[in-house]
Amino acid sequence: MNALEYLAVLLQTGMGSLAAYLAAHVLLCLLPAFFIAGALSVLIPKEAVTKYLGRDAPKWISYPASAFGGFVLAVCSCTIMPLFASIYKKGAGLGPALTFLFVGPAINILAITFTGVQIGMDIALARIVLSALFGIGIGLLMAWFFRREDKTRAPDGGGAFAQDAQVPARTWAFFALLLAVLIAGTLQVGLLTNSYATFTLPGAWAGEFQAWLDSVVPPNPSLGIEGVSVYGVFLIGLLMLIGIAAWLGLNKVDEGINGWTYAALGLISLTLVVASFKVVASDGPSTSSGQGLSVGVTGKLITEVALIAAVWWMAIRRFDVYEVQDWLWETWRFVKQIIPLLLVGVFVAGMARTIIPATWIETLAGRNTVWANLVGVLFGVFMYFPTLVEVPVAQTFLSLGMHRGPLLAYLLADPALSLQSILITNSVIGRKKTAVYVALVTIFSTLSGLIFGLFVK
Amino acid sequence: MEIKILGGGCAKCERLEKLAREVAAEMGVEATFTKVKDLDAIMAYDVVSTPALVIDEEEVKPSGRVPRREEIVEWLRTA
Repeated sequence: MNALEYLAVLLQTGMGSLAAYLAAHVLLCLLPAFFIAGALSVLIPKEAVTKYLGRDAPKWISYPASAFGGFVLAVCSCTIMPLFASIYKKGAGLGPALTFLFVGPAINILAITFTGVQIGMDIALARIVLSALFGIGIGLLMAWFFRREDKTRAPDGGGAFAQDAQVPARTWAFFALLLAVLIAGTLQVGLLTNSYATFTLPGAWAGEFQAWLDSVVPPNPSLGIEGVSVYGVFLIGLLMLIGIAAWLGLNKVDEGINGWTYAALGLISLTLVVASFKVVASDGPSTSSGQGLSVGVTGKLITEVALIAAVWWMAIRRFDVYEVQDWLWETWRFVKQIIPLLLVGVFVAGMARTIIPATWIETLAGRNTVWANLVGVLFGVFMYFPTLVEVPVAQTFLSLGMHRGPLLAYLLADPALSLQSILITNSVIGRKKTAVYVALVTIFSTLSGLIFGLFVK
Repeated sequence: MEIKILGGGCAKCERLEKLAREVAAEMGVEATFTKVKDLDAIMAYDVVSTPALVIDEEEVKPSGRVPRREEIVEWLRTA
């Protein structure tokens, strides 16, 4: 194979992952997840959580509250550092602050849904449980190691932690609805995935188009490359339309809602619904459905229509315009901040599948050993990936033969310990504490991977 | 009047600054605007999270969110 052909193969695998990713994964999981992240960020008053993180809060409240706060408040990295610094300096102290810092980036709603859909629910659940558990463990240990220094902290200005706030019932109901949209779209159970009626869009073009797609983006199951369907191309088209409408309608939504805002939201709703059909291109006259596109009306479709209608109703009737604007602005901001880097990440991680020989990964981390788990953790520390990009990277490793244990170790360590975050932590709590913290995270992540690896193949 | 915006250059802080400037201009309030980005300097105020608005060195509550226009109007009027 000459250099030019090799380059073509590289680009093809990169494009293949990107297209498969856009058509299958982003839609039903990430779209609702972004809306939830935006809602968490603006509809939950920070005081509702920080009131449990004051200086006088007992340990059995402050540590779990820190872990929970990591889940609720840490969707955006720009919130994490100020909150971390204030919990450390004025609130519950070093231990809970580090629990918050460790848990936040690993188990925010975006990271968890994305991990669950792309890699597997087992890893996503392990990520939640082990992050919370070990986050609290690391916090407690750090507080114990440095118990003397912690007592000498200046007892000034904890007033901000005394402020109280409640999360209104309508907000809880709204979250429940948004979460239901997300779950209904991703959960693979018969009730949701079965088709209750099927019809066929006629036309021989579908089969031919599918054959063409298969030749342009050939599916390669051994590398975990799925290929693109006719239906997928249609969904990608819808996504592009959403992109345009959102740019015009959501960019300045804080200044007012315009026609494009409704267009964008309408398109998003439509896309979520359309993506819930079960569509297969059937070719050849021998099949019973004949030529064309066979379209199935699934349980998922019916559920999504009902849920999305309910979300619209609540947003219009139960929240005032300002809250909705704030919510949309924040959601769009997350999208703008994360999606471009993520797309580049998916493309590059896709190409890496052809570059990195599977034997390397298998030798280094193919089995669940202490060494393999440590390799996973160290890779996470020295490679800095933007938010969420750790997931496609992990998927590439998985398709190249990485064991799920070391994979989890990598996923736990990567968001918590990049060189960048180590530097910032250092500036807040000093070199000695940072060194101990980094050591603890390394040990605990390695252990988590090892333990998790024992339970899965 | 001296208005400080606490926050390390995140999008919410930019939005808060823009809003506060607009409101001040509308009300005809003479104000100097300063951005405080240094974490230690921010922590000197009684805030839990950013962004936050400080008017004449007296801390204004909303930390971690962008307040409504009417709220800012109220603070500038009473300050």
